[in-house]
Amino acid sequence: MDLSYLPQIALSGIGIGCIYGLIGIGFCVIYNASGIVNFAQGAFVMLGGMITHTMLHRYGVPMIASAAIAIAAVSLAGIVIERVVVRPLWNRNATMFVMILATLAAQIVIERSTLIVAGDQPRTLPAFTDLPPMMLGGLAVSYQFLWIVAASLATVAALALFFKTTLVGKAMRACAINREAAALQGIPVSRMLALSFALSAALGAIAGILITPTQYTAFNVGVPFAINGFIAAIVGGFGRPLGAFVGGIMLGLAQAIAIVVFGAGFKNVAALSVLLLFLFVRPSGIFGSAK
Amino acid sequence: MTKSPTITFPDMTRRGLGALPWIAAAGVLAYAFFVGGYLTTVMSFALIYVVFVTGLNVFMGYAGQVSFGHNAFAALSGYTSAYLTTSHGFAPLPAFGAGLALALSCALIVGYPTLRLKGHYLAMATLAIGLIVYEVAVEWTSVTQGYMGISGIPPIGIAGYEITSERGQLAFLTVIVALATLVSWRIRESRFGRALSAVAGSEDAARALGISASRYKLSAFLASAAFAALAGSLFVHVVGFVSPEVYGLHMVVLAFTMLYVGGIGTIAGPFVGAVIISLLPEMFRQFKDYQDLAYGAALILLLIYAPRGLSTISSLFRRAAAKKAVVS
Repeated sequence: MDLSYLPQIALSGIGIGCIYGLIGIGFCVIYNASGIVNFAQGAFVMLGGMITHTMLHRYGVPMIASAAIAIAAVSLAGIVIERVVVRPLWNRNATMFVMILATLAAQIVIERSTLIVAGDQPRTLPAFTDLPPMMLGGLAVSYQFLWIVAASLATVAALALFFKTTLVGKAMRACAINREAAALQGIPVSRMLALSFALSAALGAIAGILITPTQYTAFNVGVPFAINGFIAAIVGGFGRPLGAFVGGIMLGLAQAIAIVVFGAGFKNVAALSVLLLFLFVRPSGIFGSAK
Repeated sequence: MTKSPTITFPDMTRRGLGALPWIAAAGVLAYAFFVGGYLTTVMSFALIYVVFVTGLNVFMGYAGQVSFGHNAFAALSGYTSAYLTTSHGFAPLPAFGAGLALALSCALIVGYPTLRLKGHYLAMATLAIGLIVYEVAVEWTSVTQGYMGISGIPPIGIAGYEITSERGQLAFLTVIVALATLVSWRIRESRFGRALSAVAGSEDAARALGISASRYKLSAFLASAAFAALAGSLFVHVVGFVSPEVYGLHMVVLAFTMLYVGGIGTIAGPFVGAVIISLLPEMFRQFKDYQDLAYGAALILLLIYAPRGLSTISSLFRRAAAKKAVVS
């Protein structure tokens, strides 16, 4: 076994880990506002990459504008899912399991619609900065990696600021602590639910746009991303956005090591084993559950 | 207004309506048997899924638990059957025995820690189990041949007599399904089944009544894993081919749709749901690309508007009648 390229692999693990972290935060945002685990989270990641690609290549919109349009469109898709699928079930007091099943079905509907509209060809986006990777002491650091890390950190910081300082953010946190008490304070709890879906969808879209240049996107990439994002959220303690981000990076590193030791084919098995390990031994995650 | 002495006529209608899904599904089965041809193949698939969904119904409908990972047990048993019959010259029955033993021991090992979980933790853990088995089926190419799959699996046969004709297979599967439905019915009517429904209602209350919730949940998990294993092995022998896609996430979604269309927790549900869902794509053959889309959309609509499925059509009617009675 050759360990000389372990640092290089670890670096890419951190990159993909940031993506898992963003998706994990998406799970937490919705869960905190409503107690719902949204299994359609992967669809947002896929749509983010696909819509950006369509804007960029079919309509020739500049990259930044394409990304902005994609984020806005995916947020809208999040609100649509909330209105069409989640809200009717929520009003009928559906059980948690029915909610999971319905969002999983929504994931499939979006996936299949994308297949019909866009075809099954994998697409990729150009790197944001098209320069050869920097060499830092034998370590090749690509510019896309820097973009991913910087944009993820910026997103997390912006989110933290939003929750800490703005009135809407504070209202969402109040819902997370106690929905009934929040409603008694005059906070429109149901509007917060829609907002949490929009926010979570935007996070997914950002993740999808950032990762697509290093990999590819296609109609069926959503579910693996959603599962890894969920694992990140579990590892960090479900309902803790910052924990989810740290959990994502740890998961990315664990996967990178598994690739070196067992081969690339087993990276999903490694991630799922991490999930089972945490669920069986410490379901509240490394930082403890939020509730 | 709650006691109504004159219910004879609506009651008859209601019973008739309640039997309607049974009769319709059994009618299609009989039609397939006599007409033969392609419909026989479709119905064979449907019957294999009835076995799988019946198992899922024991765990989810009766015991009120969640599993997104029963495809794992179908895959374990199916691959064992395929591998032993093709590479080691086993007869189908002993190969199935080995597959069932493997599936049940895995269910026992993962069931104990998994079933302590609740809610979305349980859902995700079971989903992970299903996905791990899928990934292993893809990657462990020396045994499973990866995406290529294993072909040339012999048909079902007992003591040297092989069932090769499509009609023979359909008849054999009908017997299996009848037995499976009988077992499912007996489970529900037994002490075991009542304990499961107590656990489904409230674990704490069940425990207060002296029912060991964890033991009953594990028993229900094992029973449903056995059904899944049987379905998995039946599939490889009927089709003669197996690949990881057979037991993918698609299988889980399809089974859930069948369970919800038929009616979760009912005895007829799996049979009715599997027959309807298997026939639908045949009626809309030209819209092949839209199949999964339609499943997903139908599942969402069902969950919202008819969460108890078509088998409970009679109770819907009863509720409407009750409403009318209250109004008048």
